[in-house]
Amino acid sequence: MGSTISEKILAKHSSQEQVQAGDVVVCAVDYAMMTDTRSVNAIQMIGKLGSKSLSFAGQTAMVMDHYSPPPNEEAAQIHTTMRAFAKETGTKLYDIGEGICHQVLPEGGHLTCGDLTVGTDTHSVTYGAFNAFGTGIEGTDVSAVMASGKIWLRVPETIRVELKGPLQAGVWAKDLTLFMLGKFGAEGLNYKAIEYVGSGVAAMDIDDRMTLCNHAAELGAKAAILEADEKTLQWLQAHGAKPPQPVKADQDAVYVQSIVVDTAQLAPQVARKHQVDDIVSAHEVTHQKIQFALIGTCTNGRLDDIRQAAAILKGRQLAPGVRMIVTPASRKIYLDALREGLIEILTMAGASFEAAGCGTCVGITNHLVPGNGDTVISTANRNFKGRLTNDRAEIWLGSAATVAASALTGYITDPRTVKGGEWRSIK
Amino acid sequence: MSSTNLIQLSGKAFVLGDHINTDLHCSSKYLPGKDALYVSKIAFEQASPGFANRVHELGGGILVAGENFGINSSREQATHILLLMNIRVIIAKSFGRQFFRNAINNGIAVLECDTSQILEGEDLAIDFYAGTVVSSSGLRLQAKPLPREIMKIVELGGLIPFLQKHPDWSFPV
Repeated sequence: MGSTISEKILAKHSSQEQVQAGDVVVCAVDYAMMTDTRSVNAIQMIGKLGSKSLSFAGQTAMVMDHYSPPPNEEAAQIHTTMRAFAKETGTKLYDIGEGICHQVLPEGGHLTCGDLTVGTDTHSVTYGAFNAFGTGIEGTDVSAVMASGKIWLRVPETIRVELKGPLQAGVWAKDLTLFMLGKFGAEGLNYKAIEYVGSGVAAMDIDDRMTLCNHAAELGAKAAILEADEKTLQWLQAHGAKPPQPVKADQDAVYVQSIVVDTAQLAPQVARKHQVDDIVSAHEVTHQKIQFALIGTCTNGRLDDIRQAAAILKGRQLAPGVRMIVTPASRKIYLDALREGLIEILTMAGASFEAAGCGTCVGITNHLVPGNGDTVISTANRNFKGRLTNDRAEIWLGSAATVAASALTGYITDPRTVKGGEWRSIK
Repeated sequence: MSSTNLIQLSGKAFVLGDHINTDLHCSSKYLPGKDALYVSKIAFEQASPGFANRVHELGGGILVAGENFGINSSREQATHILLLMNIRVIIAKSFGRQFFRNAINNGIAVLECDTSQILEGEDLAIDFYAGTVVSSSGLRLQAKPLPREIMKIVELGGLIPFLQKHPDWSFPV
């Protein structure tokens, strides 16, 4: 009986010949990450474990992204504690403005194909874009990993999703993940791993592949993994990753379910207010006014997302009464966008830029609060009531192209109906 | 709770429904500045009015839920609040992935079985190694028991106490 990618990676990391879905295994971790929302708690627990050497510190990163920049004294003190701990132990530190954990980990060369990478954030599934098993854990887990280098994991069942055909111009991985959420429902793939395969994946660039895996968190997935190809290997090499050890599923691997999605026929999708799985095609939404447009987050704050927005807003202005904020997923992306002239294009159109971080996604930095009755269109991954701290605002979700097209017209808009909306990344 | 031995345990059932989001109902994620003790007195109020009061009056018990208990990002804080309510056992049709991990790592036993017939306030007797749940109304449910390794973590009070005792992850089966 063959193995899935997840089973192979977890077998190797638990030094077993083979493992099967449902097994509980103790695995050696390659790299661990903790964000500022979990670090203080983790530091306290690491103290309790009394581990002297903390030899795993060299394989751990602490990222200040949720409170970037800190909105109050309490958050600032969290960062002070993190800086002291990092200095003392040799833990890699990403300070405010450097970027969102799921962007800086791959950009920093901290993971490669075949790795087991864990982080204190549900969107740690993003690392699957690089053929790694990435999964979200909590403070207790990460403390145990730092002290012992190990974690217990239940081996997940895998669903195989074949993406048939490249996405059309103006349609992006975000549209596909929203479609998946409409099909399976939020948490509909709870505890499972997803293997995305097929020509639809092959055609995607790395930015879109990261979105594809990242948004699997809302499906409840434990992991979302792609096979590695030339694009993967080139990207990893360019970012200084360790030599990759690509992992493929066996022909006779056992899947809990296999489906085919006709990606070539997919239209831009949006999630309607309050529910991440209330999905409809963007062109079916008519006369839905918006006041606030957000581009950013670990799901869609990458260079291709900013390029999509710039292609639509170049030489134009946001619709009257619309505000737009962009938070690049990392400082590197901000610099790349700057060098390409994208920051100027979007700023001239009326958009504002905020420091790289999670601010566009969750209202804890308090500089992105919508007003009562506002409708927000966002590239974020979650839209439940109150996500941006005001439960009298509505949040809709879409791709960066859909957000920019909507900011241009003032209404939720299929990007393919506006000039520049069918922009494609250069292959 | 009449017994704290986790191999066999009995207690009163406190019943909640499906898709309970512990970030919303059992954490201060949306109650900034409120501590765990405060939340433990009002936890699950929106899902079942008076729930925390009933649990506190009887000194704790067994939490019974439907599908996907603890879905979504599920802060670990929820388990600390449940422990303050003296809930050390949860049985549900299914759990959110992160909550499932958090429960075990914090010494709360979790068991998956068809909970739909369990009545509020009835007595439950659970055998974790056999995976059986017997209720005072006559139900007899069979769950897939947790692996013994996981039960060891739970019995020692969670992952940190487990690693304090077994820093090399040796599982004393």
